[in-house]
Formats: sequence, C-alpha cells, structure tokens
Amino acid sequence: MNDVKSRRVKSPGVKSLAAWALLTPPLAVALIFFVIPLLYLFYISLHAASPNEIYGSVLTLENYTSILSDSFYLGIIRRTLGTAAAILGLCLVIGYPVAYFVALLSPRRRMIVLLLLLFPLMVSNVVRAYGWVAILGRRGVINTGLRDFGVIDVPLDLLYNTEAVVVGLMTILLPYMVISIANTLSALDPRYEEAAQALGAGPVRTFLHVTLPLSTPGVASGMLLVFLLTLSAYVTITLLGGPRSKLLVSMVYDSVVGFQWPRAAALAFILLALALALTGVILAVLRPNRIEGTGR
Amino acid sequence: MSETDVRLDKVRKSFGAVMAVNDVTLDIERGTIFSLLGPSGCGKTTTLRLIAGFEQPSAGEVYIRGQRVTAIPPYRRDFSMVFQSYALFPHLNVAENVAFGLRMRRVPRVERGAAVKEALGLVKLGELAGRYPRQLSGGQQQRVALARAIVVKPAVLLLDEPLGALDKMLREEMQVELRELQQRLGITAVFVTHDQEEALTLSDRVAVMRGGVIEQVGAPREIYDRPVSEFVAGFLGASNFLDGQVVSREGGIALIETAGGRVRVVAESAPVGAKVRLAVRPERVRMNHADGEGLSAQVRSIVYRGSVTHYYMDGAGGPLLAYAQNAAAGEWAIGEDVCCAWDVESGVLVAPERA
Repeated sequence: MNDVKSRRVKSPGVKSLAAWALLTPPLAVALIFFVIPLLYLFYISLHAASPNEIYGSVLTLENYTSILSDSFYLGIIRRTLGTAAAILGLCLVIGYPVAYFVALLSPRRRMIVLLLLLFPLMVSNVVRAYGWVAILGRRGVINTGLRDFGVIDVPLDLLYNTEAVVVGLMTILLPYMVISIANTLSALDPRYEEAAQALGAGPVRTFLHVTLPLSTPGVASGMLLVFLLTLSAYVTITLLGGPRSKLLVSMVYDSVVGFQWPRAAALAFILLALALALTGVILAVLRPNRIEGTGR
Repeated sequence: MSETDVRLDKVRKSFGAVMAVNDVTLDIERGTIFSLLGPSGCGKTTTLRLIAGFEQPSAGEVYIRGQRVTAIPPYRRDFSMVFQSYALFPHLNVAENVAFGLRMRRVPRVERGAAVKEALGLVKLGELAGRYPRQLSGGQQQRVALARAIVVKPAVLLLDEPLGALDKMLREEMQVELRELQQRLGITAVFVTHDQEEALTLSDRVAVMRGGVIEQVGAPREIYDRPVSEFVAGFLGASNFLDGQVVSREGGIALIETAGGRVRVVAESAPVGAKVRLAVRPERVRMNHADGEGLSAQVRSIVYRGSVTHYYMDGAGGPLLAYAQNAAAGEWAIGEDVCCAWDVESGVLVAPERA
C-alpha cells in the first residue's frame, strides 16, 4: 500500500512545477487585467487633474486630502456606511430565520426553495429598479391606491431617499444571505444539537450556544457578499435614490463624467479601503475560521 | 438492594414499515455497565436514542431512576452521552466544552471551574484545557467527550460506539480506562457496540440484539458460555455446531446421537427424541489420538497464531474447529486422524437459525 503511494507521488520539485504550470495562466490574467490596472489607477489618483489629459503632471496627495476633509464627501461616506449597515441588518434579521427553516427542509425541497429565492435575480437590476419606481413613485401603485381610498390628498415621497435605496437593494441581496446561511446550517452535523440537549440545553439555549455560533461561517460569507455588493451597486441606488441620496459609487461616476479622472481614482481607492477595512472587521468579529470540520 | 437506573418496558419503535426496536424490556442496575451488542441495523443505537429521548417510542415506556420520562424531552432527562463522532463543540475550547453541561445546569462559575478541573484530571487531560478540539488527536477528543459527559454526574451515561473511531491499541487502552473510571465513580452506563470483545471486556451485563429484538441478556460469561441461540453463539465468537437427536437422558444430562458419534451434554429441557443443535466453543475442544474418546475427525489445516493454534478438522458430522494453547500443545499434522472430545458442561443446546 505504502509502496504504491510513494511510487505515484512525484518528487516535490516535479509536483510544484506542475502546480506552477497550472497556476500561471490565471495568475497572468489576474496580473494583466487586475493588478496592473489597479496600480495604474492608484498612480493616477496621486496626480492633479488636467484639462486635456487623463491626469496632470504634478504628483500630489491633494485628491485624498481634499476628499477626506470635505464635509460633503464625509457625509457621503457616512451615508454609504449607514445604508450598508441598514441593508446588512435587515438581511440578517430577515434572512437568518428564513435560512433556518430552509435548512430544515429535505434536500429536494431545499433546492426548490433556493431556486425560487434565486428567481428574482434573473430579472435585470434596471427592470427591477423601475418596478420599484412603478410601486413607490408619485403616480405609483401605493400613492394612487391611497389617494383612491381617500387616505391622502398629496402623494407621499416614497422614492428618491435612502429608505427606498435600502428596500430596493435589500430585496436584491437577501437571497445571498439566505443561501449562505442555509448552506452552512444544512451541512451542520445534527449531533452537535443533540450533544447540547444531552447536556441539558433546551431549544433556545441550544440555538444560542451551539447552532448560532456554528453558523458563523455562513453568516460571515453572507454579510461579506451583501456588504460588498452594496458598496458596488450603482443602478439601484441611482434609480431609487435620486440626486439626494447619492453614495460613494455615484461620486466616482460623477467625477468620471466631469473628467475629474484623478479624483474618481482616489474615490475608487477610498471605496476599496472601506471595503477592505469592513471586511476585516466582519471577519475579526465573527472569526468564521475557528469553526472547522463542522459538516462531517 | 440494587436499584434500577434505567428501565425500558415493552418499548417499540418503528420507522415507517420498519420495526427498529420490537418489544424491548430491560432493567439496568445502578453502578453497572450494560452493553447493547449486535450487528449494524439490529436496533441497538435506536434503543440508546430512545433512552436519551432523541427518538420517541411508538409504544412502551422509558424510566430513568424510577421516573417515567417517555414524554419528557431529552434536555430534561437526567443523562449524558458520548457520541461516536464525539460531537465536541468546535467553537469552544476543552475547558469550555467540559463546562457546557454545568453552564446549562446553572452551576455557579466557581464550582464550575473546580468540577471541570477534576473531570479533566480524571481523563488525564488537565494540561490541554485551553486547546480547541481540532488541535487534539482522536484519543484526546474521546477523553474530552468523556469528561464532558461525566462532569454533570448524570443518572446514566450513554455511550454510542465511543471507541469505534480509535485504532485497536488505543481502543483496548481506553476500554480498561473507561472501566476503571466507571467503577471509581459508580456510574451507570449503557454502552452500544458491535464489537463482541469490547462488550465482554467492559460490561457487567450484555444484551445481544438482532432485528430489533433482544436475543439474550446476561453476564458476559453467561452469554459466552451458555448462549441460547445459534446466532448468539456465532456472534460472540467462533463455535462448532453439531446436529443430533436426544436418545436418552439421566438427570440433567442428555445423550445425543450425532452423525459423528454420541456426545453427552448438560441439558435441562430437551425431551428424548427431540432434534437439537449443539454448540461447542473451539477452545473447549480437546484433541486426542485416533483411538481415544470422542468424535473422530481428520486435520484439514492448521493456523499458528502465537499463543494458540487453530486446528480445522473434518468430522463425520461436518467441520470441527479446535483452539489449542501452545504451551500445552500436543503436535498434530495435517491429514492426521484425531478424536475430539469436550467436557459434558462445555456443550450447549442452542435454538437453531431459521434457515
């Protein structure tokens, strides 16, 4: 047995050579289309704007300092984080119970329910955002309905505010949260819950002390997906938020449209830094990697 | 004098059309290890889960320390359990795992610390209190699972093939340790296993199960030496089986005519004329020279096993197997004609397998 094994395993040098041969193409693609442009973008962000070039010749930190000392931009950053936090909170509070019950289903039914949850994602974000406009707008379903029943005289402003953005994005991102958590929960060995019960923990304490902590890998990946997709969403926040509820992404777009390339690049990097920092916070708080081999 | 810690009264459990446990009645005495032994699918694990309350019986009653617990959920029953996979909580370290049951029982923090320390000391893991389960070997995880279960001082400790995942050496070591620990603490334990040696080593009493039914309950020596059925005799180790007919009896001893000759056996119940099946353990078989007493047979093959030698023989009534201690061995050769005999109390009449 051992002989067969050792004969089949190549020497370490050959093995790592094969690994590198397999890794090189994707690494090259990542380098050419991601790392180099990113470095270039960072280089651009360190220059002053120029009226006829992409960036001027002066090397400066001006873009970063002006953004981070401008109360307008700081307000946008705050609003971006607030919106993301609200969406995250709602997705967790609504998504976890849904995931819990999905995980209780038989594998076949679970698949059907998860497909149903994914179904809305097959509709374009643009179409869906206009769907919300049709519902929440001044001449939308809700306002005309309320007016027809005489509840209101003047249409309510349901659209073009942060709440509309939160609701619109939350409905798009909720399936990511549900699917992440449900997958972790359904892979959980039922012996853990039985062990807790054998030690005297009732259903509530079993959930709080065992099931919930053991589901943190799913919660963490769901939170990261929702958070990062929130930061990069554009169509939904533009169509539902209007000019008064702009987020950081909108600023990048506005700067590009205004030919402020270096500023757009700096904003993009601030966005990236925020994403990295909060990813770090989520991982540090939930520590999903401490749960290992729970699915056996 | 002896108190019953666990009692199953005519318990049945069916899963759909399958009767996993069929009319099981058991009494388990305080301070003893009771083993449920049988092949996979015999209902032994389901029986354990019925005691725990993870399964609800379809009929019958479960009692723990005299209290009827049939309708009581697992977390209100006075037991703890060691799982085959250990099921240590991966997000808690060793000390926190062991403290879990005490926390759930709302034991104050100070007492908790002392109890955890004591339990970890009992399983010789005191220095690993801060480690996480994934940092432990299989044997260490097993000890933590045991410490977690005994620290709450349960009325009954349930063990579901707890040593099944360990290698042979470690398993035998843990069997001895488990037995010592159980006797020191006077714990009542129910032990599920498919390993007959383990059951014989560990238990005060053993229930041999098959097809959801208990075939025989008794002390290890009793079920090994006096099996009631061919299944029990065969499951607990090798056995010779001889078919015959009772030709006469005097007192408790029956004379049985077999194809290879007549043998005498202790048998209280078999009437003259009855067709019977006789079981004899191979280590009880004495081999003599061809002109000696006993059933004649010819040596077919010999397996040397160190402390013993196994002799496979062909007799008139079918194959015969004998284990001879090598210290006292007369040497036999393949093809040699021999005679096989055994003491009158070494043979047992068993219920034959339904063919």
